[in-house]
Amino acid sequence: MNETNASDAALEVIGLHKRFGNIDVLKGVSLSAHTGNVISIIGSSGSGKSTLLRCVNLLESPNEGRIRFDGEELQLKATPAGLVTSNAKQLQRLRAGVGFVFQSFNLWPHMTILENIIEAPIHVKGVPRRDAVASAEALLAKVGLSERRDFYPNHLSGGQQQRAAIARCLAMEPKVLLFDEPTSALDPELVSEVLQVIRSLAEEGRTMLIVTHEMRFAREVSSHIMFLHQGQVEEFGPPSQVFTAPKSERCRQFLENHLN
Amino acid sequence: MEDIIERLPEMLIGAVTTVELTLLALAFGICLAVPAALARTSRRWWMRVVPYAYIFVFRGSPLLVQMFLLYYGLSQFEWIRSSTLWPILKQPYWCAVIAFALNTGAYTAEILRGGIQSIPKGEIEAARACGMSPGLMMRRIVLPRAFRIAWPAYGNEVIFMLKGSALASTITLLDITGMARSIIAENYLSLEFFGLAGVLYLLISWVFMRILKIVEVHLSAHLAPAPQVPATSE
Repeated sequence: MNETNASDAALEVIGLHKRFGNIDVLKGVSLSAHTGNVISIIGSSGSGKSTLLRCVNLLESPNEGRIRFDGEELQLKATPAGLVTSNAKQLQRLRAGVGFVFQSFNLWPHMTILENIIEAPIHVKGVPRRDAVASAEALLAKVGLSERRDFYPNHLSGGQQQRAAIARCLAMEPKVLLFDEPTSALDPELVSEVLQVIRSLAEEGRTMLIVTHEMRFAREVSSHIMFLHQGQVEEFGPPSQVFTAPKSERCRQFLENHLN
Repeated sequence: MEDIIERLPEMLIGAVTTVELTLLALAFGICLAVPAALARTSRRWWMRVVPYAYIFVFRGSPLLVQMFLLYYGLSQFEWIRSSTLWPILKQPYWCAVIAFALNTGAYTAEILRGGIQSIPKGEIEAARACGMSPGLMMRRIVLPRAFRIAWPAYGNEVIFMLKGSALASTITLLDITGMARSIIAENYLSLEFFGLAGVLYLLISWVFMRILKIVEVHLSAHLAPAPQVPATSE
């Protein structure tokens, strides 16, 4: 679906299928994200957006499909529960290189914000503690949380927690960032502070997949929009095209309902 | 009163034995409980079988019976009497410690399992999503979280173990209860010396509770009220 060829994609997903029981959530979705692409995935709830994102780093086991990250194809084997990794080390490497931002932040509550951020760099990547702390402090400054470094997640607002969670992802210096409805759990007045951080990441040229309901935001920051409908890609293209002249009638209706 | 003062040193020696038995049992019990709880929460059924059986047996039968089986029962087997472990197993002290450890280990495993299972799924996903291996995740996220969640319930188990250790007196050990009984056998002052025994247990459990509370406050700093927000905050 993308004009460029597959090999230089930072992240590529081919023919992903996912069933929950006898419900087909994803029916053969393919996607390739090139370095610097910001792809927003939109669609009504139940369209498979989050499942697609969660399948990319195998938080969810797809039933069929291939995943290629940074020129390397994930080794998968079929089990009754779906495809799982046949090379745990490789999967851990992929996950370390792909940041995942959750709807519900999922910070570790027993660690301070700083400890949350340095945890994976130190223990997964083996970064010396001093270096990890230094880069964590730079990241905290970047997301505007320097003064909260020693606070626990419980002591922060939702927007602050999500910004901290983004900093935690960035600390791993990921090649690709996945955002799973990053603002859906936030009070309306906290949404913009998180979107602003994501916007600044887009402007840095980071490769990102964003599942979102914030249509205006998606239109502004994305290089591409993917509209999912019932587990299939119904529309894909640059925002200028998808938002102004969608080819699919369903996409047009969806946007009409969500852009007022 | 003079009797009490005169025999107090012996009762205090008994108290030391009680504390020793309890702490040893708790320490060995934790060592059993951690792997048992992890295996008990495994997704693989064959990993769950052994800890399930262990917990079922030791939680479902009386501690006294377990201790008697160990102390009186094991010596029936010739191969145990000739084994290298016999020097340990023939001593009532170690029989008591082992029985207590197996028993508290089973309870602690269940407490810890509850802790592990009440960790919000998202926190585990966050650990997987940043590339943690299962072992690292256990060590850095799952167990630290489970211990924090389970700590208040574990405090109960510590106090139960302290009081349960009185059973050691039935296999000749002179812990607080054993010492009180042996003194009463001489002077028939049951009220005084069982009263003193009760007071000693109360004092020890008060100290234990204080320590448990201090650890709890330390472990749950993240649940304390938020610190003052700096004036220049965003």
